Amino acid sequence: MFSQIASEWPDFATYYNMLFLAQAAGTTLALSALGVVLGSLLGLALAVTRTTRGRLLAPLRTLAFTFTEIFRRVPFLVTLMLAFFVFQMFFADTSLFVVAAVTTTLIAAAFLSEIIRGGLNSVHPNQWEAAAAMNFSLLQTIRHVVLPQAWRIILPPAFGFFVLFIKDTALASQIGVVELTYAGKVLNNKGFSPALAFGAILIIYFLISYPLARLGAALEARLASSRHHRS
Amino acid sequence: MSYVLQYGQVWPYLPRLLEGALLSIQIAVLAFSGGLLIGTACAAVKSFGPRWAVAAVGVYVTFFVNTPQLVQIYFLYFVLPDSGILLSSYNAVLLGMTLNAGAYLTEIQRAGFESSRRSEIEAAEVLGFSRLQQIRYVILPHVARVLFPPLSNHFIIMTLGTSMASVFGVEELTGEALNVNALTFRSVEVFTITAGIYVVLTLVASTLLALFGRYAFRVRTRAA
Repeated sequence: MFSQIASEWPDFATYYNMLFLAQAAGTTLALSALGVVLGSLLGLALAVTRTTRGRLLAPLRTLAFTFTEIFRRVPFLVTLMLAFFVFQMFFADTSLFVVAAVTTTLIAAAFLSEIIRGGLNSVHPNQWEAAAAMNFSLLQTIRHVVLPQAWRIILPPAFGFFVLFIKDTALASQIGVVELTYAGKVLNNKGFSPALAFGAILIIYFLISYPLARLGAALEARLASSRHHRS
Repeated sequence: MSYVLQYGQVWPYLPRLLEGALLSIQIAVLAFSGGLLIGTACAAVKSFGPRWAVAAVGVYVTFFVNTPQLVQIYFLYFVLPDSGILLSSYNAVLLGMTLNAGAYLTEIQRAGFESSRRSEIEAAEVLGFSRLQQIRYVILPHVARVLFPPLSNHFIIMTLGTSMASVFGVEELTGEALNVNALTFRSVEVFTITAGIYVVLTLVASTLLALFGRYAFRVRTRAA
Protein backbone atom coordinates (compact mmCIF):
# COMPACT_ATOMS: atom_id res chain seq x y z
CA MET A 1 0.00 0.00 0.00
CA PHE A 2 2.75 2.46 0.97
CA SER A 3 4.98 1.75 -2.03
CA GLN A 4 1.96 2.33 -4.24
CA ILE A 5 1.25 5.65 -2.59
CA ALA A 6 4.90 6.63 -2.94
CA SER A 7 4.85 5.84 -6.66
CA GLU A 8 1.63 7.79 -7.21
CA TRP A 9 2.66 10.76 -5.13
CA PRO A 10 4.45 12.77 -7.88
CA ASP A 11 1.34 12.61 -10.08
CA PHE A 12 -0.89 13.39 -7.12
CA ALA A 13 0.93 16.38 -5.68
CA THR A 14 0.45 18.60 -8.72
CA TYR A 15 -0.56 22.24 -8.58
CA TYR A 16 -4.03 21.66 -10.00
CA ASN A 17 -4.82 18.73 -7.73
CA MET A 18 -3.83 20.80 -4.72
CA LEU A 19 -5.88 23.74 -5.97
CA PHE A 20 -8.84 21.40 -6.46
CA LEU A 21 -8.49 20.05 -2.93
CA ALA A 22 -8.10 23.54 -1.46
CA GLN A 23 -11.26 24.72 -3.24
CA ALA A 24 -13.12 21.63 -2.07
CA ALA A 25 -11.99 22.28 1.51
CA GLY A 26 -13.21 25.86 1.09
CA THR A 27 -16.62 24.58 -0.02
CA THR A 28 -16.82 22.25 2.98
CA LEU A 29 -15.99 25.13 5.33
CA ALA A 30 -18.35 27.54 3.58
CA LEU A 31 -21.18 25.02 3.73
CA SER A 32 -20.79 24.39 7.46
CA ALA A 33 -20.04 28.04 8.38
CA LEU A 34 -22.99 29.31 6.35
CA GLY A 35 -25.23 26.70 7.93
CA VAL A 36 -24.11 27.56 11.45
CA VAL A 37 -24.27 31.36 11.02
CA LEU A 38 -27.69 31.42 9.34
CA GLY A 39 -28.78 28.53 11.53
CA SER A 40 -27.94 30.37 14.72
CA LEU A 41 -30.03 33.37 13.62
CA LEU A 42 -32.98 31.15 12.81
CA GLY A 43 -32.26 29.10 15.93
CA LEU A 44 -32.32 32.25 18.09
CA ALA A 45 -35.68 33.18 16.60
CA LEU A 46 -37.00 29.68 17.34
CA ALA A 47 -35.63 29.69 20.89
CA VAL A 48 -37.07 33.15 21.65
CA THR A 49 -40.43 32.07 20.21
CA ARG A 50 -40.46 29.14 22.60
CA THR A 51 -39.81 31.36 25.63
CA THR A 52 -42.93 33.44 24.99
CA ARG A 53 -45.92 32.90 27.26
CA GLY A 54 -48.84 34.63 25.54
CA ARG A 55 -51.81 32.47 24.63
CA LEU A 56 -52.12 34.02 21.18
CA LEU A 57 -48.60 32.88 20.34
CA ALA A 58 -49.31 29.25 21.23
CA PRO A 59 -49.54 28.11 17.57
CA LEU A 60 -46.18 29.75 16.86
CA ARG A 61 -44.65 27.95 19.84
CA THR A 62 -46.02 24.65 18.62
CA LEU A 63 -44.63 25.38 15.18
CA ALA A 64 -41.16 26.18 16.59
CA PHE A 65 -41.26 23.04 18.75
CA THR A 66 -42.32 20.85 15.82
CA PHE A 67 -39.63 22.33 13.59
CA THR A 68 -36.85 21.61 16.09
CA GLU A 69 -38.10 18.12 16.88
CA ILE A 70 -38.46 17.12 13.23
CA PHE A 71 -35.15 18.44 11.97
CA ARG A 72 -33.30 16.89 14.90
CA ARG A 73 -34.91 13.51 14.22
CA VAL A 74 -34.51 13.16 10.46
CA PRO A 75 -31.09 12.05 9.18
CA PHE A 76 -28.98 14.62 7.35
CA LEU A 77 -29.06 12.50 4.19
CA VAL A 78 -32.87 12.26 4.13
CA THR A 79 -33.30 16.00 4.75
CA LEU A 80 -30.81 16.63 1.97
CA MET A 81 -32.71 14.39 -0.48
CA LEU A 82 -35.99 16.01 0.49
CA ALA A 83 -34.56 19.51 0.01
CA PHE A 84 -33.07 18.40 -3.29
CA PHE A 85 -36.37 17.12 -4.67
CA VAL A 86 -38.43 20.00 -3.29
CA PHE A 87 -36.07 22.43 -5.02
CA GLN A 88 -36.49 20.36 -8.19
CA MET A 89 -40.24 20.86 -7.90
CA PHE A 90 -40.17 24.64 -7.62
CA PHE A 91 -36.78 26.06 -8.56
CA ALA A 92 -35.19 23.41 -10.73
CA ASP A 93 -32.16 25.52 -11.69
CA THR A 94 -30.95 26.20 -8.14
CA SER A 95 -27.29 25.35 -7.72
CA LEU A 96 -26.49 22.26 -5.67
CA PHE A 97 -24.47 24.34 -3.23
CA VAL A 98 -27.54 26.41 -2.39
CA VAL A 99 -29.63 23.28 -1.87
CA ALA A 100 -27.00 21.91 0.49
CA ALA A 101 -26.61 25.27 2.27
CA VAL A 102 -30.38 25.50 2.85
CA THR A 103 -30.30 21.97 4.29
CA THR A 104 -27.40 22.72 6.62
CA THR A 105 -29.14 25.93 7.73
CA LEU A 106 -32.36 24.10 8.58
CA ILE A 107 -30.60 21.34 10.51
CA ALA A 108 -28.20 23.70 12.29
CA ALA A 109 -31.15 25.92 13.26
CA ALA A 110 -32.90 22.98 14.90
CA PHE A 111 -29.85 21.86 16.90
CA LEU A 112 -28.66 25.38 17.76
CA SER A 113 -32.10 26.48 18.90
CA GLU A 114 -31.94 23.78 21.58
CA ILE A 115 -28.47 24.99 22.65
CA ILE A 116 -29.64 28.62 22.67
CA ARG A 117 -32.80 27.73 24.57
CA GLY A 118 -30.65 26.04 27.21
CA GLY A 119 -28.64 29.26 27.47
CA LEU A 120 -31.74 31.46 27.74
CA ASN A 121 -33.17 29.20 30.43
CA SER A 122 -29.92 29.39 32.37
CA VAL A 123 -30.53 33.07 33.12
CA HIS A 124 -32.26 33.35 36.47
CA PRO A 125 -36.04 34.01 36.30
CA ASN A 126 -35.53 37.04 38.59
CA GLN A 127 -33.67 38.74 35.77
CA TRP A 128 -36.55 38.19 33.35
CA GLU A 129 -39.02 39.45 35.95
CA ALA A 130 -36.91 42.50 36.77
CA ALA A 131 -36.75 43.37 33.09
CA ALA A 132 -40.51 42.88 32.77
CA ALA A 133 -41.07 45.10 35.81
CA MET A 134 -39.01 47.82 34.12
CA ASN A 135 -41.31 47.52 31.13
CA PHE A 136 -38.72 46.00 28.78
CA SER A 137 -40.28 44.39 25.75
CA LEU A 138 -39.42 40.74 25.05
CA LEU A 139 -36.82 41.66 22.45
CA GLN A 140 -35.28 44.32 24.72
CA THR A 141 -35.11 41.79 27.54
CA ILE A 142 -33.37 39.28 25.29
CA ARG A 143 -31.01 41.84 23.80
CA HIS A 144 -30.04 43.83 26.91
CA VAL A 145 -30.55 41.45 29.81
CA VAL A 146 -30.52 37.81 28.78
CA LEU A 147 -28.03 37.48 25.91
CA PRO A 148 -25.20 39.40 27.65
CA GLN A 149 -25.35 36.73 30.36
CA ALA A 150 -26.31 33.70 28.29
CA TRP A 151 -23.71 33.89 25.54
CA ARG A 152 -21.04 32.37 27.78
CA ILE A 153 -23.26 29.31 28.22
CA ILE A 154 -24.25 29.18 24.56
CA LEU A 155 -20.93 29.71 22.81
CA PRO A 156 -18.94 26.57 23.84
CA PRO A 157 -21.57 23.97 22.86
CA ALA A 158 -22.48 25.97 19.75
CA PHE A 159 -18.86 25.94 18.68
CA GLY A 160 -18.66 22.23 19.44
CA PHE A 161 -21.69 21.73 17.22
CA PHE A 162 -19.96 23.67 14.43
CA VAL A 163 -16.92 21.37 14.62
CA LEU A 164 -19.16 18.27 14.50
CA PHE A 165 -21.16 19.78 11.70
CA ILE A 166 -18.11 20.21 9.44
CA LYS A 167 -17.88 16.43 9.34
CA ASP A 168 -21.61 15.97 8.76
CA THR A 169 -21.43 18.04 5.58
CA ALA A 170 -19.50 15.14 4.01
CA LEU A 171 -22.95 13.83 3.10
CA ALA A 172 -23.50 16.78 0.75
CA SER A 173 -21.28 14.83 -1.66
CA GLN A 174 -24.27 12.53 -2.18
CA ILE A 175 -26.22 15.14 -4.15
CA GLY A 176 -23.09 16.20 -6.03
CA VAL A 177 -21.77 19.26 -4.19
CA VAL A 178 -18.04 19.38 -4.90
CA GLU A 179 -16.79 19.47 -1.31
CA LEU A 180 -13.97 17.46 0.23
CA THR A 181 -15.57 14.03 0.19
CA TYR A 182 -16.70 14.50 -3.40
CA ALA A 183 -13.17 15.63 -4.28
CA GLY A 184 -11.89 12.36 -2.83
CA LYS A 185 -14.26 10.40 -5.07
CA VAL A 186 -13.19 12.46 -8.09
CA LEU A 187 -9.49 11.81 -7.41
CA ASN A 188 -10.24 8.12 -6.91
CA ASN A 189 -12.10 8.05 -10.23
CA LYS A 190 -9.15 9.77 -11.90
CA GLY A 191 -7.17 6.64 -11.13
CA PHE A 192 -5.41 7.37 -7.89
CA SER A 193 -5.57 4.49 -5.44
CA PRO A 194 -8.35 4.80 -2.85
CA ALA A 195 -5.75 4.68 -0.07
CA LEU A 196 -4.15 7.86 -1.41
CA ALA A 197 -7.35 9.69 -2.42
CA PHE A 198 -9.40 8.97 0.70
CA GLY A 199 -6.32 9.06 2.94
CA ALA A 200 -5.61 12.61 1.76
CA ILE A 201 -9.24 13.59 2.37
CA LEU A 202 -9.17 12.13 5.88
CA ILE A 203 -6.00 14.08 6.65
CA ILE A 204 -7.46 17.35 5.35
CA TYR A 205 -10.61 16.89 7.45
CA PHE A 206 -8.39 16.19 10.43
CA LEU A 207 -6.31 19.32 9.78
CA ILE A 208 -9.49 21.41 9.69
CA SER A 209 -11.29 19.77 12.57
CA TYR A 210 -8.54 19.16 15.13
CA PRO A 211 -7.35 22.80 15.58
CA LEU A 212 -10.98 23.97 15.75
CA ALA A 213 -11.77 21.30 18.35
CA ARG A 214 -8.79 22.43 20.44
CA LEU A 215 -9.91 26.04 20.06
CA GLY A 216 -13.37 25.01 21.23
CA ALA A 217 -11.95 23.25 24.28
CA ALA A 218 -9.84 26.30 25.15
CA LEU A 219 -12.88 28.55 24.70
CA GLU A 220 -14.91 26.34 26.99
CA ALA A 221 -12.24 26.27 29.69
CA ARG A 222 -11.84 30.03 29.52
CA LEU A 223 -15.53 30.90 29.59
CA ALA A 224 -16.25 28.33 32.28
CA SER A 225 -13.51 29.69 34.53
CA SER A 226 -14.54 33.32 34.03
CA ARG A 227 -18.08 32.35 34.88
CA HIS A 228 -16.82 30.66 37.99
CA HIS A 229 -14.97 33.75 39.22
CA ARG A 230 -17.99 35.97 38.81
CA SER A 231 -20.43 33.95 40.81
CA MET B 1 -45.18 24.12 -10.07
CA SER B 2 -47.48 21.68 -11.78
CA TYR B 3 -46.33 18.86 -9.51
CA VAL B 4 -49.17 17.08 -7.74
CA LEU B 5 -48.35 15.05 -4.66
CA GLN B 6 -49.59 11.49 -5.01
CA TYR B 7 -49.01 9.49 -1.88
CA GLY B 8 -51.30 6.73 -3.15
CA GLN B 9 -48.55 5.38 -5.36
CA VAL B 10 -46.10 5.12 -2.49
CA TRP B 11 -48.20 3.61 0.32
CA PRO B 12 -48.10 0.07 -1.16
CA TYR B 13 -44.33 0.16 -0.61
CA LEU B 14 -44.67 0.99 3.09
CA PRO B 15 -43.87 -2.60 4.21
CA ARG B 16 -40.58 -2.38 2.30
CA LEU B 17 -39.69 0.84 4.04
CA LEU B 18 -40.58 -0.65 7.41
CA GLU B 19 -38.40 -3.67 6.68
CA GLY B 20 -35.63 -1.22 5.93
CA ALA B 21 -36.32 0.49 9.24
CA LEU B 22 -35.80 -2.83 11.02
CA LEU B 23 -32.39 -3.16 9.40
CA SER B 24 -31.58 0.43 10.44
CA ILE B 25 -32.39 -0.44 14.05
CA GLN B 26 -30.31 -3.60 13.77
CA ILE B 27 -27.27 -1.69 12.50
CA ALA B 28 -27.68 0.99 15.16
CA VAL B 29 -28.00 -1.56 17.98
CA LEU B 30 -25.05 -3.69 16.81
CA ALA B 31 -22.75 -0.73 16.16
CA PHE B 32 -23.74 0.89 19.45
CA SER B 33 -23.11 -2.30 21.43
CA GLY B 34 -19.74 -2.81 19.75
CA GLY B 35 -18.90 0.83 20.28
CA LEU B 36 -19.89 0.56 23.93
CA LEU B 37 -17.50 -2.38 24.42
CA ILE B 38 -14.65 -0.53 22.70
CA GLY B 39 -15.52 2.68 24.51
CA THR B 40 -15.62 1.05 27.94
CA ALA B 41 -12.30 -0.71 27.35
CA CYS B 42 -10.65 2.45 26.02
CA ALA B 43 -12.05 4.64 28.78
CA ALA B 44 -10.74 2.13 31.37
CA VAL B 45 -7.33 2.17 29.65
CA LYS B 46 -7.35 5.98 29.63
CA SER B 47 -8.08 6.07 33.36
CA PHE B 48 -5.91 3.19 34.62
CA GLY B 49 -3.70 1.96 31.76
CA PRO B 50 0.05 2.29 31.18
CA ARG B 51 1.25 5.45 29.48
CA TRP B 52 1.83 3.95 26.01
CA ALA B 53 -1.71 2.51 25.98
CA VAL B 54 -3.15 5.88 27.00
CA ALA B 55 -1.29 7.46 24.08
CA ALA B 56 -2.53 4.79 21.66
CA VAL B 57 -6.14 5.26 22.76
CA GLY B 58 -5.64 9.02 22.47
CA VAL B 59 -4.53 8.69 18.85
CA TYR B 60 -7.48 6.41 18.03
CA VAL B 61 -10.04 8.70 19.63
CA THR B 62 -8.57 11.94 18.23
CA PHE B 63 -8.41 10.53 14.72
CA PHE B 64 -11.93 9.08 14.62
CA VAL B 65 -13.57 12.06 16.32
CA ASN B 66 -11.98 14.56 13.94
CA THR B 67 -12.81 12.91 10.61
CA PRO B 68 -16.22 12.24 9.03
CA GLN B 69 -17.76 8.83 9.56
CA LEU B 70 -18.69 8.70 5.86
CA VAL B 71 -15.06 9.03 4.74
CA GLN B 72 -13.95 6.50 7.37
CA ILE B 73 -16.35 3.97 5.88
CA TYR B 74 -15.20 4.88 2.35
CA PHE B 75 -11.68 4.16 3.50
CA LEU B 76 -12.60 0.75 4.98
CA TYR B 77 -14.71 -0.18 1.99
CA PHE B 78 -12.31 0.82 -0.79
CA VAL B 79 -8.85 0.56 0.76
CA LEU B 80 -8.96 -2.68 2.75
CA PRO B 81 -9.55 -4.79 -0.41
CA ASP B 82 -6.05 -3.69 -1.52
CA SER B 83 -4.69 -5.51 1.51
CA GLY B 84 -6.77 -8.56 0.72
CA ILE B 85 -9.55 -7.86 3.21
CA LEU B 86 -12.86 -7.90 1.38
CA LEU B 87 -15.75 -6.49 3.38
CA SER B 88 -19.35 -6.64 2.22
CA SER B 89 -20.97 -3.21 2.24
CA TYR B 90 -23.00 -4.18 5.31
CA ASN B 91 -19.90 -5.29 7.20
CA ALA B 92 -17.91 -2.22 6.15
CA VAL B 93 -20.66 0.08 7.38
CA LEU B 94 -21.01 -1.87 10.61
CA LEU B 95 -17.26 -1.87 11.23
CA GLY B 96 -16.95 1.84 10.40
CA MET B 97 -19.86 2.83 12.61
CA THR B 98 -18.59 0.63 15.45
CA LEU B 99 -15.09 2.14 15.35
CA ASN B 100 -16.53 5.64 15.12
CA ALA B 101 -18.93 5.00 18.00
CA GLY B 102 -16.09 3.50 20.04
CA ALA B 103 -14.17 6.77 19.81
CA TYR B 104 -17.10 8.98 20.79
CA LEU B 105 -18.21 6.64 23.57
CA THR B 106 -14.68 6.58 24.98
CA GLU B 107 -14.88 10.35 25.39
CA ILE B 108 -18.34 10.23 26.91
CA GLN B 109 -17.53 7.43 29.34
CA ARG B 110 -14.25 8.88 30.52
CA ALA B 111 -16.10 12.02 31.55
CA GLY B 112 -18.53 9.75 33.40
CA PHE B 113 -15.77 7.82 35.19
CA GLU B 114 -14.19 11.04 36.34
CA SER B 115 -17.46 12.23 37.76
CA SER B 116 -17.47 9.59 40.51
CA ARG B 117 -16.38 11.61 43.51
CA ARG B 118 -13.33 10.81 45.56
CA SER B 119 -15.21 11.52 48.79
CA GLU B 120 -17.91 8.96 47.95
CA ILE B 121 -15.31 6.25 47.45
CA GLU B 122 -13.56 7.21 50.66
CA ALA B 123 -16.85 7.05 52.53
CA ALA B 124 -17.40 3.55 51.14
CA GLU B 125 -13.90 2.54 52.28
CA VAL B 126 -14.59 3.85 55.77
CA LEU B 127 -17.78 1.82 55.89
CA GLY B 128 -15.70 -1.28 55.15
CA PHE B 129 -16.92 -1.93 51.60
CA SER B 130 -14.70 -4.28 49.63
CA ARG B 131 -13.42 -3.07 46.27
CA LEU B 132 -16.12 -5.04 44.42
CA GLN B 133 -18.80 -3.73 46.74
CA GLN B 134 -17.55 -0.20 46.15
CA ILE B 135 -17.87 -0.67 42.42
CA ARG B 136 -21.24 -2.39 42.68
CA TYR B 137 -22.94 -0.10 45.21
CA VAL B 138 -21.16 3.24 44.97
CA ILE B 139 -19.36 3.79 41.69
CA LEU B 140 -21.65 2.05 39.17
CA PRO B 141 -24.97 3.55 40.31
CA HIS B 142 -23.43 6.99 40.24
CA VAL B 143 -21.66 6.57 36.91
CA ALA B 144 -24.72 4.96 35.32
CA ARG B 145 -26.90 7.89 36.31
CA VAL B 146 -24.41 10.41 34.92
CA LEU B 147 -23.69 8.42 31.76
CA PHE B 148 -27.16 7.29 30.79
CA PRO B 149 -28.45 10.54 29.23
CA PRO B 150 -25.42 11.21 26.97
CA LEU B 151 -25.22 7.54 25.99
CA SER B 152 -28.87 7.34 24.99
CA ASN B 153 -28.44 10.63 23.14
CA HIS B 154 -25.57 9.12 21.19
CA PHE B 155 -27.68 6.08 20.39
CA ILE B 156 -30.27 8.36 18.78
CA ILE B 157 -27.52 10.12 16.80
CA MET B 158 -26.30 6.72 15.64
CA THR B 159 -29.78 5.63 14.61
CA LEU B 160 -29.91 8.67 12.34
CA GLY B 161 -26.34 7.97 11.21
CA THR B 162 -27.34 4.55 9.85
CA SER B 163 -28.83 6.37 6.85
CA MET B 164 -25.21 6.63 5.69
CA ALA B 165 -25.29 2.91 4.95
CA SER B 166 -27.47 3.61 1.90
CA VAL B 167 -24.45 5.27 0.25
CA PHE B 168 -22.80 1.84 0.18
CA GLY B 169 -25.88 0.05 -1.07
CA VAL B 170 -27.14 -1.39 2.21
CA GLU B 171 -30.92 -1.58 1.99
CA GLU B 172 -31.85 -0.02 5.31
CA LEU B 173 -34.53 2.64 5.58
CA THR B 174 -32.83 5.28 3.43
CA GLY B 175 -31.59 2.61 1.02
CA GLU B 176 -35.13 1.29 0.60
CA ALA B 177 -36.35 4.86 0.17
CA LEU B 178 -33.92 5.27 -2.72
CA ASN B 179 -35.16 1.97 -4.18
CA VAL B 180 -38.82 2.94 -3.90
CA ASN B 181 -37.95 6.34 -5.32
CA ALA B 182 -36.40 4.62 -8.34
CA LEU B 183 -39.51 2.45 -8.77
CA THR B 184 -42.15 5.15 -8.42
CA PHE B 185 -40.37 8.47 -9.19
CA ARG B 186 -42.49 9.94 -6.40
CA SER B 187 -39.45 11.47 -4.73
CA VAL B 188 -40.95 14.04 -2.38
CA GLU B 189 -43.63 11.60 -1.25
CA VAL B 190 -41.13 8.81 -0.62
CA PHE B 191 -38.74 10.98 1.35
CA THR B 192 -41.41 12.68 3.45
CA ILE B 193 -42.72 9.25 4.45
CA THR B 194 -39.15 8.14 5.18
CA ALA B 195 -38.52 11.25 7.26
CA GLY B 196 -41.75 10.52 9.14
CA ILE B 197 -40.64 6.97 9.90
CA TYR B 198 -37.31 8.27 11.25
CA VAL B 199 -39.13 10.78 13.47
CA VAL B 200 -41.44 8.09 14.87
CA LEU B 201 -38.54 5.65 15.27
CA THR B 202 -36.34 8.06 17.23
CA LEU B 203 -39.27 9.42 19.27
CA VAL B 204 -40.17 5.89 20.37
CA ALA B 205 -36.51 5.11 21.07
CA SER B 206 -35.96 8.29 23.13
CA THR B 207 -39.14 7.71 25.11
CA LEU B 208 -38.29 4.08 25.88
CA LEU B 209 -34.72 5.01 26.83
CA ALA B 210 -35.90 7.85 29.08
CA LEU B 211 -38.37 5.54 30.84
CA PHE B 212 -35.74 2.82 31.21
CA GLY B 213 -33.25 5.33 32.58
CA ARG B 214 -35.72 6.66 35.07
CA TYR B 215 -36.61 3.25 36.49
CA ALA B 216 -33.24 1.49 36.24
CA PHE B 217 -30.86 4.28 37.22
CA ARG B 218 -33.18 6.97 38.64
CA VAL B 219 -32.06 9.39 35.97
CA ARG B 220 -33.85 12.66 36.54
CA THR B 221 -36.04 13.31 33.52
CA ARG B 222 -34.96 16.10 31.28
CA ALA B 223 -37.46 18.61 30.00
CA ALA B 224 -39.09 16.86 27.00
